[in-house]
Amino acid sequence: MSEKTVYESLRESGLSRRDFMKFCGLLSGWMGLEFLPGVKALAATPEQVAEALMAKPRVPLIWLELQDCAGCTEAISRSQSPSLVNLVLNSISVDYQETLMAAAGFQAEASMRATMEKFKGRYVLVVEGSLSTAADGVYCAIAGRSGPDILREAAASAAAVIATGNCAAFGGLPKAAPNPTGALGVGDFIKDKPIVNIPGCPAIPEVTTGTIAHFLVMGTLPKTDRLKRPLTFYGHTIHDHCLRRPFYDAGKFAESFGGHGAREGECLYKLGCKGPTTYNACSSLKWEKGLSFPVQSGHPCLGCSEPNFWDGGGFYQAQSAPIDRPTAAAFGLAAGVGAALGAAMAGANGLAKRKAGKTEPAEPKKAAE
Amino acid sequence: MDWTSILHFFRGPFFTFSLLFFAAGMTYRLIRVLLLGWSRDKVPSRGSKAVGVAKSYLKGVIILPFIPWVKRTFRGNAMTYIGGGLFHLALLAVVVFSTPHMMVWKSLLGFGWPTLPFPVTDWLAAVGIVALVILLINRMTHPVLKLITKAPIWINWVIVFLPFVTGYAMTHHLGLRYESLYSLHMMAVDVLLIWIPLGRISHFLFYFFSRTIHGAQAGKRAVNP
Repeated sequence: MSEKTVYESLRESGLSRRDFMKFCGLLSGWMGLEFLPGVKALAATPEQVAEALMAKPRVPLIWLELQDCAGCTEAISRSQSPSLVNLVLNSISVDYQETLMAAAGFQAEASMRATMEKFKGRYVLVVEGSLSTAADGVYCAIAGRSGPDILREAAASAAAVIATGNCAAFGGLPKAAPNPTGALGVGDFIKDKPIVNIPGCPAIPEVTTGTIAHFLVMGTLPKTDRLKRPLTFYGHTIHDHCLRRPFYDAGKFAESFGGHGAREGECLYKLGCKGPTTYNACSSLKWEKGLSFPVQSGHPCLGCSEPNFWDGGGFYQAQSAPIDRPTAAAFGLAAGVGAALGAAMAGANGLAKRKAGKTEPAEPKKAAE
Repeated sequence: MDWTSILHFFRGPFFTFSLLFFAAGMTYRLIRVLLLGWSRDKVPSRGSKAVGVAKSYLKGVIILPFIPWVKRTFRGNAMTYIGGGLFHLALLAVVVFSTPHMMVWKSLLGFGWPTLPFPVTDWLAAVGIVALVILLINRMTHPVLKLITKAPIWINWVIVFLPFVTGYAMTHHLGLRYESLYSLHMMAVDVLLIWIPLGRISHFLFYFFSRTIHGAQAGKRAVNP
């Protein structure tokens, strides 16, 4: 029996053809097909997305959770977004997801193994959470196996790897100094597979599913930036589309949380907003059906889609402030070294002058005056 | 290496290093100058040194900038005087009274102060950049200045110009991405901090010493002060 196509799977789950076409339109919009020149050249339209989904077999997902808080899973499971998230994750393809799956223990492991064998070289591996590499990975072991072991095996037969959340993408909170577990992002460990990073804390559900959908439709991972983030979603900074941006340009900054300025929409730069250097889709896609996002609701952007954001300066410290600053003791020491060197040089000069003064007594005194 | 990591380096460890180098270097320079010593008064002064100092600052900082033609410096090369004056005004406004820079001071000192509105500091920054360019052209074309300008002065100009222009470009999102411009700005600032004790930009500290000492001298009233 031939494998079911994505369309057939969707119809079985009760989706009408009209809903399917709506879904394809949404999907093509979400994937940013209009914006990407490479994809535009393929002339991909909602109709072509539909054709692709009708012809292609379903692509299963294996969703690993390593050193994570399950926040990305929580974000996806609680997303109120229409169809896409539910369709992609509930109806199409998730074969193994520790938090959401009904199976547990040996059954769960057997399910993962069965998927890996049946769809060898064709499944997509989604990773949430960072990899613990210190002490042979003992800090994060599942079913008696260390994270690196599990990841290595799961990635070996995957068609592509999607690292969702800052932890999986760049190491996230576990990698923050002093990084006791030797945390790494997936891309630092898996080098021989196509990888796309979906950083965020948590990752925006629509961005994760949009990227998965891109793979389902196009058969490839989306075009990415230098940090392997899909350009469709990470092509602009929070600052670029921020609704408080006009206040930044006018130099009007909120002085306190929840104060008059913050409520009037003034820029949160002084309260620590990292929007100008943070690439993500929060200010354009937003959360909860486009209802709001942190900056809109009065909280500065933490920069959670950037590498090392936990160590990138205080969350509530303005971005212009330095990340590190010398302690008073270090300042004192530096000044002391300077003073000692200065005194030593002055002493040496004084001695030289005195020595020279024996032959030319009048000259130095006059100069000093 | 991506721009975010570069920015972390220049906002983090390298900034700390630059600041410590600056502290050590300026203390060294200061101690060297102080230990040169100064001559004692040989006869009692009937005037007031304090009044002399006050007058000196009043004249130099508040009165003369508004009637510059009484000064020989102005009559000799007005461009140097006006360009230099505007540049220093812009520098003060931008470095001390712009919001992002005040936040830097606040993070270092633990307290902040009210800042100037953004359009004011923004226009002054532009004035500072234009003034620097005019000063450069003046220096390149003026026969006497050309003669006495050696390599360190040109380096001074570049090292002062770069933080200004990268900061302005960053604020207005000109050319490169924000984090790239921010990295370049921090790189330029770090280099400036290291360069200050090594060159004549250290006059930012010695200016106050020299004006105080000259003011005190001027305040003396004695036969042979």
